[in-house]
Amino acid sequence: MAEDLYSVLGVAKTASAADITKAYRKLAKKLHPDLNPGDKAAEEKFKEASQAYSILNDADKRGQYDRGEIDASGQERPQERYYREYAGGPQGARYHSSAGYEDIGAFSDLFGDMFSGGAGARGARGGGGRFAMRGQDAQYRLDISFLDAVNGAKQRITLPDGGTLDVAIPAGVSAGQVLRLKGKGMPGVGEGGPGDALVEIVVRPHPVFTREGKDIVVEVPISLDEAVLGGKIEVPTIGGRVMATVPPGSNTGQTLRLKGRGVQSKAGAGDQLVRLSITLPETIDEDLKSFAEDWRKTHAYDPRGKLKEQV
Amino acid sequence: MASEQDVVARVQHLTVTRLRIWVDQGLIKPTDQAPPNYSEADVARAALIVNLEDELGFAADDVPVLLNLIDQIHGLRSELRGLLEALDDLPPDVRTTVRMRIERRRRG
Repeated sequence: MAEDLYSVLGVAKTASAADITKAYRKLAKKLHPDLNPGDKAAEEKFKEASQAYSILNDADKRGQYDRGEIDASGQERPQERYYREYAGGPQGARYHSSAGYEDIGAFSDLFGDMFSGGAGARGARGGGGRFAMRGQDAQYRLDISFLDAVNGAKQRITLPDGGTLDVAIPAGVSAGQVLRLKGKGMPGVGEGGPGDALVEIVVRPHPVFTREGKDIVVEVPISLDEAVLGGKIEVPTIGGRVMATVPPGSNTGQTLRLKGRGVQSKAGAGDQLVRLSITLPETIDEDLKSFAEDWRKTHAYDPRGKLKEQV
Repeated sequence: MASEQDVVARVQHLTVTRLRIWVDQGLIKPTDQAPPNYSEADVARAALIVNLEDELGFAADDVPVLLNLIDQIHGLRSELRGLLEALDDLPPDVRTTVRMRIERRRRG
């Protein structure tokens, strides 16, 4: 037991009763064994502080202590059994809260299942030995088209046992995402509910569209004259064809952004990115050839200037 | 198992009214309702609430929040203990692998 009760609480010998209570509460809130389960050092300090407080908070005992009539150990308090001693046992188990593991489950299905399974098992109240276990999760893979992933769709999975499972695919789902269908897994035991169905989404590629997050990327060929003079071109989007304006002097690799024409999801709409690609006619006719020959004589330019600098 | 009277007699500064309020709030869950039957854990829990309110000076409104957090901690601790015990049953090389993976995650 500590030598000086005042220094245990960190107060002066002249401290008022209110100051002593304040100091004790501050310490106790930090050190209380039920707020620090498993921390032995905190428990020891808490006992010292409680001991000190039990004497200093009592005006008579404080007087006796100040006069040296009792020592710092004073009167031993009755041994208190903290709640934490029961909390880990079967009696305390029904108070356990395992709400809020779903975020863990999303990162690691293994641990997520273990925890939520445990919660189901504890769902049997009263500790009467009634056995209940949550059903196992069932895992499936679902192949969907690119456009179904973008626009959302309803699909039906046929299960090995002949049953079916309807899956609502949310718009904007991405490849590899796992949809959790609550209660659609294996049946549980006793009061334990069924497990969940985990459906991994596999997205088949599209010949024209690709995705970069919420944006849809499409490469659109333009003619030589459209590149030089600009013009209106028709562009496919996931919602149908739209007209887009190619500015004069557009180059291969240049991107037009069609606002709001990308993936529409709850988190907002993406854009469609149109990558332009200048495409020469399949056969170069005499006119084009002679034009290029004449043009070269007076307008030669070096498109690879930057490339040389950078290497 | 303790009756309502037993609990009130055993926990200092506890009254029937306070105990009933806590049962009503779901902070303490006796096993039977008529008459309620309290386990040792329930008695210790009642003592904890008295302690939190009277000695540590937490407001009655704050106590459910604290208990909710304490219950979450005990829930987590028991899950963690179960997990560690399960790990303990695995062959040493598997345990080493798990430990290495955990350390790698900690480093980010």
